[in-house]
Amino acid sequence: MSADTATAGPPPAPAVPKKPPAAMSARRQGWRRRAPLMPALIFTIIATQIPFLVTVWYSLNSWNLVNPGSEHFVGLSNYVDVFTDRVFRQAALNTVVITGGCVLIAMALGIGMALLLDRKFLGQSVVRTLMITPFLVMPVAGALIWQTSMLDPAFGIVNYVIGLVGIDPVNWTSSYPLVSVIGALVWQWTPFMTLLVLAGLQSQGRDVLEAAQVDGAGPTRMFRAITLPHLRRYIELGVLLGAIYVVNTFDQIYILTQGGPGTASTNLPFYIYQRAFLGFDIGQAAAMGVVVVIGTIVVATFALRMLFRTFSEET
Amino acid sequence: MDEGKVSRRDRSLWWIAGVVVIAYALFPVAWIVSVSFKTPSDLGSNRFLPTTWVWENYENILAGGAQDLFLSALRNSVGISLLATFISVVLATFAAYAIARLDFPGKRVILTTALAVAIFPVISIVTPLFNLWRNIGLYDTWPGLIIPYLSLTLPISIWTLSAFFRQIPWELEQAAQVDGATTWQAFRKVIVPLATPGVFTTAILSFFIAWNDFVYGISLTSTEAARPVPAALAFFTGASQFVDPAGAIAAAAVVVTIPVVVLVLLFQRRIVSGLTQGAVKG
Repeated sequence: MSADTATAGPPPAPAVPKKPPAAMSARRQGWRRRAPLMPALIFTIIATQIPFLVTVWYSLNSWNLVNPGSEHFVGLSNYVDVFTDRVFRQAALNTVVITGGCVLIAMALGIGMALLLDRKFLGQSVVRTLMITPFLVMPVAGALIWQTSMLDPAFGIVNYVIGLVGIDPVNWTSSYPLVSVIGALVWQWTPFMTLLVLAGLQSQGRDVLEAAQVDGAGPTRMFRAITLPHLRRYIELGVLLGAIYVVNTFDQIYILTQGGPGTASTNLPFYIYQRAFLGFDIGQAAAMGVVVVIGTIVVATFALRMLFRTFSEET
Repeated sequence: MDEGKVSRRDRSLWWIAGVVVIAYALFPVAWIVSVSFKTPSDLGSNRFLPTTWVWENYENILAGGAQDLFLSALRNSVGISLLATFISVVLATFAAYAIARLDFPGKRVILTTALAVAIFPVISIVTPLFNLWRNIGLYDTWPGLIIPYLSLTLPISIWTLSAFFRQIPWELEQAAQVDGATTWQAFRKVIVPLATPGVFTTAILSFFIAWNDFVYGISLTSTEAARPVPAALAFFTGASQFVDPAGAIAAAAVVVTIPVVVLVLLFQRRIVSGLTQGAVKG
């Protein structure tokens, strides 16, 4: 990855710290200092980058596991297939919708929740701990909860609740697959956003707020003029970290919709998985994997820059 | 904010908002707990509480028909996640120590690399791992999952631990060295106690990532030999066509959520004690 980031992202200079021409002892000293971090670094790079190089190699071959021995070099034709594949484009679009929808809604709810939890009330710490629970539920289990008890057409709670106000039952996962997936994801991710925003709220200087209050600012005004700008960094961080993880969402889609109906809720990770493990089309799946990695690097470069800006502002 | 100035109407609005929010976050969890105690005939009803509370679902997954699927998966998940966490925290501690403490060029590149690897789309390396593991015999084994889990947990561990380590008052270490301690002694006797809360947080995070993984879990395993809980849970739905699996799933979901909740509670206490210790000594 190091080489990739360097080519895609201008800020960090050369990737691998190659020995600069320096005095022999200084160099040895330098390597001795770096020694503690070598095992972790080398391992991480081997465990992710060698498989990725293999992925790149696969992507240049036509290889279907259904026909053993069918492997042969085809150059870039898999990539041509990927970019002319309608489903791939839809999956890319779905990925953007799911990620954007989930992160923004979860953040909006998270800010609201954090404001609630920041107030003093009886049982505050208990409620705070309880609020984190959705984030602690294993994603697969969370998705199963939504599938079996929240969104089930016959017994689901959501249908029961909308039935109380006279709306007919909806078969959520087949009629509104993207909404269902985003709903489950938002539920899982709101506590994460809440925790970050709450940390931001609690790091806010009380004196500024009191001064504003003395000056006669109302609660709404105070929130918009003081709290929100202060929270910006935390909100950015939450959106970025959330997006990084939600982009790779797989569990919820596998459990809730299987990418369906048709390909209506297929996102890129699920589509790649489908091509590789259900279609056995290794070459094609690998080509999509490479495209996704490149896309991630491009998006992440911006994300990383913002993160570093956030960090450098802090110190 | 001044409580006295908040009008009664405002206060009741806050209360309503609070109740709605708590219901939204907790209702699904409460519902699943309740379902896990229901009898099969009770599952279809919209009643929140079971008509009769039974342990049937728990017996089913822990001692009954579904135990082959669930118990082995639980054993695999606990073992694999703990091993991956342990290895990753040990390696990351050294790495983060070097990053926070020692001066050398390329530090930022290493942190960037760690973060870049952390956001690397897992799905794009699953296929080669699948093929490779089948060729070298790691497919459907513990190491076959521990290795990819380490690639998930290590970058995050390095990242969070270096953030923690940067806040440690390192003058203490120098003081110890002036008093005649070696670098290693200063590290072990002075820094480790201060760093423990951070290490624990990192360990929880690592465990959490490994414990929750699903993509590797279903792609790189095929039998009870290594299949972890998330993958087994997904098979609950497919396997039982004739019995409504909701009760068993609910019980399993409760059982696998408990360790994480316990860990987080444990870690909260750790963090607090770490902070107070620091305050007393500082």
